[in-house]
Amino acid sequence: MRLSYSSLRRRNESAWLVPNGGTGIDDRLRAGMRRFEDDDELDCVIVGCGAGGGTLLQRLARAGWRVAALDAGPFWDPETDWVSDERGSHRLYWTEPRVLAGDDPVPLGSNNSGRGVGGSMVHYAGYVPRFHPSDFATYSNDGVGADWPITYWDLLPYYEAIEEELPVSGQPWPWGHPHEYPFHAQPLGGNGEIFLRGAAAAGVTARVGPVAIANGRFGHRPHCIYRGFCLQGCKVNAKASPLITHVPDALAHGAEVRSDSMVSSIRLGPDGRATGVTYFREGAERFQRARMVVVAGYSIETPRLLLMSAERRFPDGLCNDHDLVGRYVMVQGAPQTAGRFPEEIRMYKAPPPEVTSEDFYETDPHAPYKRGFSIQNVSPLPITYAEHVAAQGHWGEVLREYMRDYVHWATLGALCEFLPLPENRVTLADTADRHGLPVARFSYSQCQNDRDLMKVAQGKMEEILKAAGAEETMTIKRYAHLVGGCRMGRTPEEGVVDADLRSFAVPNLYISDGSVLPTQGAANPALTIMALAARAADGLVAGSRRGLAPGD
Amino acid sequence: MPIRSTRGTTPGGKGRFPGFDVLDEVPRWDEVTAGVVLARLDPFPDHSFFTPEEFATLRALLDVLLGQREEPRVPLARMVDQRLALGETDGWFYEDMPPDGEAWRRTLGFVDLDARTRFGRPFAELAWSDQADLVQAVQDADDYHGLPAGHVWSLWTRYACAAFYSHPWAWNEIGFGGPAYPRGYKAIGVDQRERWERQEVDARDPVPWAERVEQARRIHEHGSTGTG
Repeated sequence: MRLSYSSLRRRNESAWLVPNGGTGIDDRLRAGMRRFEDDDELDCVIVGCGAGGGTLLQRLARAGWRVAALDAGPFWDPETDWVSDERGSHRLYWTEPRVLAGDDPVPLGSNNSGRGVGGSMVHYAGYVPRFHPSDFATYSNDGVGADWPITYWDLLPYYEAIEEELPVSGQPWPWGHPHEYPFHAQPLGGNGEIFLRGAAAAGVTARVGPVAIANGRFGHRPHCIYRGFCLQGCKVNAKASPLITHVPDALAHGAEVRSDSMVSSIRLGPDGRATGVTYFREGAERFQRARMVVVAGYSIETPRLLLMSAERRFPDGLCNDHDLVGRYVMVQGAPQTAGRFPEEIRMYKAPPPEVTSEDFYETDPHAPYKRGFSIQNVSPLPITYAEHVAAQGHWGEVLREYMRDYVHWATLGALCEFLPLPENRVTLADTADRHGLPVARFSYSQCQNDRDLMKVAQGKMEEILKAAGAEETMTIKRYAHLVGGCRMGRTPEEGVVDADLRSFAVPNLYISDGSVLPTQGAANPALTIMALAARAADGLVAGSRRGLAPGD
Repeated sequence: MPIRSTRGTTPGGKGRFPGFDVLDEVPRWDEVTAGVVLARLDPFPDHSFFTPEEFATLRALLDVLLGQREEPRVPLARMVDQRLALGETDGWFYEDMPPDGEAWRRTLGFVDLDARTRFGRPFAELAWSDQADLVQAVQDADDYHGLPAGHVWSLWTRYACAAFYSHPWAWNEIGFGGPAYPRGYKAIGVDQRERWERQEVDARDPVPWAERVEQARRIHEHGSTGTG
């Protein structure tokens, strides 16, 4: 499939709406942005402007809807707001208070929690694999997890569309549903070279990609400069995030992005339909009217908002008639194994997303556990790498000596498909945040299948690194990504939303973010979240829900 | 204002990359990043979050955790104090721990209490090896004065590592290239080096040496306290 710029520009002009050959965002586009009044009844108000919200915003604006996205964080300018520095990038994360509980509590606030326009895709590595067809029917196939109300083939045209819009570079993909990418793979740094070398020696198939960075210029977006700070927000505008892949086109088509606006509740009218949202801006609580509300706040904040919106008709939280809101939250087990090489690797150079293997993604019929894991390069910068070393129990002069050896280590990371469990959930804690809103409490405990996968994945990474010539290995157990919490289902007893992301309980309330995923595969979720949003938008724009489209 | 007084400064004068100074590249950094990084070379303000007693304990504790026995030292305690004063936490906290600022205050109190109980003096005034013993005991414990010791250890090391390895002197020590925008990298494969990156001297696998040190440390600590 050849990428056609002209057909792409007819549906999403974003890459040509950032400053030409430069960086940052177009000040004129932002200054000239349409601004609605609170009293304007919007066709749609979207809560959160990340992967799910940003994509939907662009699609609805293109279709002529009067639409605004309210985001709790800033409207970033990569040139002036982001730095090429690990510690200085703390502001990219959602750092409002949250309470962690369970047998295996999952730290938040860094790799899995975004803030501001662009959401977590501002600081994701940039890996954008598709899910496998098997991911949509794990219960039928393996007796674990859940079946989705849609199949891979329902999502396929949207995967292809988003892969062009980001765009994605990578080698032809042999796993799941085999496919190709619009851009050829990136050149590799030392870390990626080691992965390919070790995989070849260990008999493991590995491919370069799939990464949301064009191999070359793309529209007005410059070529990647191999700076290695993908996780600190791409100042170059080379790595895709909704801030540059969907928001510019949305603004050019009359959408508003209202930043620094923390939504505090969804309000219902006497007829049981949503009438808009209350939100805090500059300390004042306001109300934005809208004919339709889309929640896109991700797996912690979306359930929290629904629970905070409890009212007479929904005493246990909006859309929570069947006790599903906040349940089945998933993280991926993401152990990282570093290996020491006599050569200099200097893994801080080149983008951290380089090489992937999905050889172990599917259920192994001979194994005692179900489902699987993928392996990817990760390239921790010094602070993150120090945490890796400290996790081995090293401190003091020993920690320092390991760190002096930094240039010799290459690192792999696994993504293990943890299963959706009802007790892994978001509830409201009895403490309040700066707005007086109850804080989210996130409880997580692993099951035996989860632990088995972590162990096998670690062994496989050690095997690959040793096959590449590693003299030593060390592993840190950690977690990545968040999905679930408002899963989609075929019936109200099975899901909070249906296959079109419309809530069963409130006819003009939708959810468009990672919280709707019933299972997570062993893939990074960003592409699937965007594809689901694009699919839901198609249904809305086509009027599949007559009565919600503008003018009706 | 001079950016630095000496070239290639490393904490305690240690490191494998003599002559490497990440600050040589400052003219090729973007201004926003340069502002953020160079501010770490300015003197950090004196403590404002912690009390003088807490701060003295904090300083000694962080220096032990990062092995800072000699000048020049990265001003870890002032960096952590400033971070907490500004409320720059990660937001989340374990249900069995107080929020970060309160957790720091309480655990620093425990550290000092332990020192006075066992050695009759404040933690900050103890000999280095006695401080290290007390720290090792926390790492080896399950419970620390009613808090889960693993979560206490995680709190301490997260803040300590984030402060130390954000400092350009630490980057000089480990050969890290630092900020890279808009300059980027050209030589990105195995055993490739930019023109300004330095070859290391005295490269050696840290693992065998580390094993010896840590074994000795545990024997010493267990021998002197008799606790597990």
